[in-house]
Amino acid sequence: MNEGGAGGPVVAPRRRILPAHASIGLGVAVLAGAAMTVAPAALDTYTVNILVRSFVYAATALTVDILWGYCGILTFGQAAFFGVGAYAAGIAFTYVGFSPQTAILALLAGLALSAAVAAIVGWISFFHGASPLYVAIVTLALPIIVVQLLYSGGTFTGSSSGLVGYSTFDLSVEAWFAITGVGLVVLTVVAWFFVNSDFGRVLVAIRENEQRCTYLGINTSLLKILLMVAMAMVAAVAGYAYAGYTVVVAPEIASFVFGTELVMWVALGGRGTLIGPVVGTVAIDLTSAYLSGNLPFVWKLIVGTIFVLVIVMLPQGLLPVIAAAARRLQRYLPRRTARSSALPVSLVPAASLVRQAFGSDAPALQIIGLDRRFAGLRVLEGLSFTALGGQLLSIVGPNGAGKTTLMRCLSDGFERSGGSVAVFGNDIAGYPPHRVARFGIGRSFQTTSLFETLTVAQCLRLARFRLDHTAMWSRSAQLALPDGAMRVLAATGLDRHLADESRSLSHGMKRALELAMVLAQDPKVLLLDEPTAGLSRSERTLIGRVLVDLSRREGLCILLIEHDLDFVRDISTRIIVLHQGKVLLDGSVEDVVKSDLVRSIYAGKVLQPAPRVAS
Amino acid sequence: MIPFVLDIITTAAILFAVASGLLIVLGVLKIVNFAHGAFLTMGGYSALLITQLGWSAWAAYPAAFVSGFLAGALVEHFVIRPLYERPLDAILATWGLGIIIGQLITIVFGREIRFVQTPIAGAASVLGETYSLYRLFLIGAALVVGGGIAALLGLTRLGLEARAVIMNEELARALGINSSFVRLVTFCLGAGLASLAGALITPLSSVDPGMGVPWLVNAFMLVLVSSVSLVSLAAAAIVLGGAQVVVSTFVSPVLGGLTIVVLAALLLRIRPQGFAHE
Repeated sequence: MNEGGAGGPVVAPRRRILPAHASIGLGVAVLAGAAMTVAPAALDTYTVNILVRSFVYAATALTVDILWGYCGILTFGQAAFFGVGAYAAGIAFTYVGFSPQTAILALLAGLALSAAVAAIVGWISFFHGASPLYVAIVTLALPIIVVQLLYSGGTFTGSSSGLVGYSTFDLSVEAWFAITGVGLVVLTVVAWFFVNSDFGRVLVAIRENEQRCTYLGINTSLLKILLMVAMAMVAAVAGYAYAGYTVVVAPEIASFVFGTELVMWVALGGRGTLIGPVVGTVAIDLTSAYLSGNLPFVWKLIVGTIFVLVIVMLPQGLLPVIAAAARRLQRYLPRRTARSSALPVSLVPAASLVRQAFGSDAPALQIIGLDRRFAGLRVLEGLSFTALGGQLLSIVGPNGAGKTTLMRCLSDGFERSGGSVAVFGNDIAGYPPHRVARFGIGRSFQTTSLFETLTVAQCLRLARFRLDHTAMWSRSAQLALPDGAMRVLAATGLDRHLADESRSLSHGMKRALELAMVLAQDPKVLLLDEPTAGLSRSERTLIGRVLVDLSRREGLCILLIEHDLDFVRDISTRIIVLHQGKVLLDGSVEDVVKSDLVRSIYAGKVLQPAPRVAS
Repeated sequence: MIPFVLDIITTAAILFAVASGLLIVLGVLKIVNFAHGAFLTMGGYSALLITQLGWSAWAAYPAAFVSGFLAGALVEHFVIRPLYERPLDAILATWGLGIIIGQLITIVFGREIRFVQTPIAGAASVLGETYSLYRLFLIGAALVVGGGIAALLGLTRLGLEARAVIMNEELARALGINSSFVRLVTFCLGAGLASLAGALITPLSSVDPGMGVPWLVNAFMLVLVSSVSLVSLAAAAIVLGGAQVVVSTFVSPVLGGLTIVVLAALLLRIRPQGFAHE
């Protein structure tokens, strides 16, 4: 670990590194691209013809893989965007006639229309609290709507038979093969850099735990909308190429059935692998072309059966299975050193933010009359208190007192049923968690909720997403973290596990990572739900010291839920006792510890005068 | 005016009958069964087969229900059971199943469009207006389906267990309810109801291997806006089905076909709980 200068913050020079095996991948890509230009000579015309179509389909399948395989957005709608791009070309070439200007304008029109439609679809599909099923519904509806519009377009869209035989690009089949083939290789390489970049890890994080991302201050809905717009535009270009090449556009290419076929190809090839969907699409489409003439129904039956089997038994698709087999073969070849896909990352101190806490007169947290009801059950009732910067406020109380619900109400503006919560004078009403995080709230969770397949460093970088620029095409070799996060990492030894996937960590390590992620966000108000549960005594002491320093030196307002009263007594400046959703006691450590009331609640006894024993 | 109102009621009845099987499967199994459309198609072909055998057209309904129920048992055991923890994958697998069933039907029966006899022909006079007797019969059929499900849920031990699984599956299992049996029977019933609905709609729509898909999409939308409640489903069928009839009659049949999909998607955006109270 690079401790950096102990004095002031060091602004590290930004160093970008290529992900592992980038050079090998690029080499393969160049070879594949070169093959595209010579292959037509070796193949018969029929195959070349079909392959051009397969390449265009594969490019579209790639967009499905990025949306679904990487970001977890199950979409049936890419067919609609493909159709928009295709019809833009078909309609323009039919009614205006082909010319270079028309070709460019048609492409731009297809891009603009697909982007606009995707933005609307994204806005409808992605909002705070939307179920992941919902986008599947909306994208299912989209191609159905597009096809119906095409049907009702009459002679303009050619209705059910579409548009045929318009003038188009004057290119040979071999030229089309080279253009679409090289285009597919380039797209795959670009997509590979994109998904393997730091930004690509954010997409994976959204797939794995979207809720947690929002509490890290990431506007996941907006990112998903933008991703959908970008992928819609790629699909529209693929559709445009299809229309230019086949000289036919028909409603089937925008249909829900084509949309589901794309998802099937991705699933069969291997979701979240890029190469799998590309190879899978080309292989299946080519085979279909050969077999569908002789055995059309049987072939579809076979594909359907394999698809169901793969979904049930090999949810990761066929590519990982083949890759595993290849690795088993490789064991007999000369050994290479074990590799980790994660890159070495060095930690550097982050430039400390100017703490607005001192500039503002408003209290860090002001809670007035907070209510939370669940279908008649009042969990929090008229809760009011104010917390200031520099306070380390522990919330204690028996199980079911409403402690975790309180945390939720302070970090999500939609959560409470009544009352108000203000952070530095900003009312959080109507703000989703990622907006509340911008006011300076950082929340850790009681149940460890991390991103399973992300490494420790990637989790921490995710926490910095809101503050730092995140590389979209590469991985950064350095990770800037504020002092508090650095100290937690050092205290728990997590800094030696930066390249480990978070699911492989021990429970205690996971808790520490959870805390470090919250601190990495440079929050001004910390909401910690049992941050040290499962940690050893020495680790707890160290973390307690970090928390005390943060509140004293940097003026953080820290709200802490803890069951260990010794720990609470050691570090708190103030304690609130919560009981059945109400503030029972609010005072200094001394006041609370000495209170008989508290003792009786913790002992589970009803408070009553000590019984006199007759002697 | 009267035919128009009857159109709305009968359309709602058909939609309710088609969607009810999907609803109970989503409620108990928490899985969207995209093979629902294929089961519907199976029902259509069961009716066709019965007619070809020269049996009474009434026999089509029990035959369709039983064939759907049995196919449902196979599907639940081999495909649905491994996917309980992966609801999005279950959507895909059941869609794949739909393709398999559709292709099997195509191989056996061919791709041609067929027509099935109605058990009830002719028209009836309703308040001075003549109206298709078969469509009126469908109102009764939907009431029987809805009443049957309600009775099963409300009056039988299985229904009680199913309701317990809907509310809190973990707790239900802890109480000794065999939730996998409840799921199996529910899925079979859902498939049987889909198939029955397929037989019910055959006199109105032609029979072909792809007949189920348009119904699947509308049924899916209705089920999502009704949050697993039969009463909400009836309300959604009347409101959205009514809107479909209005748009088809006064604007255009093409847009009418989109009404349910568009309205349901927008309704879910504005009111994620749909037609349910909470």
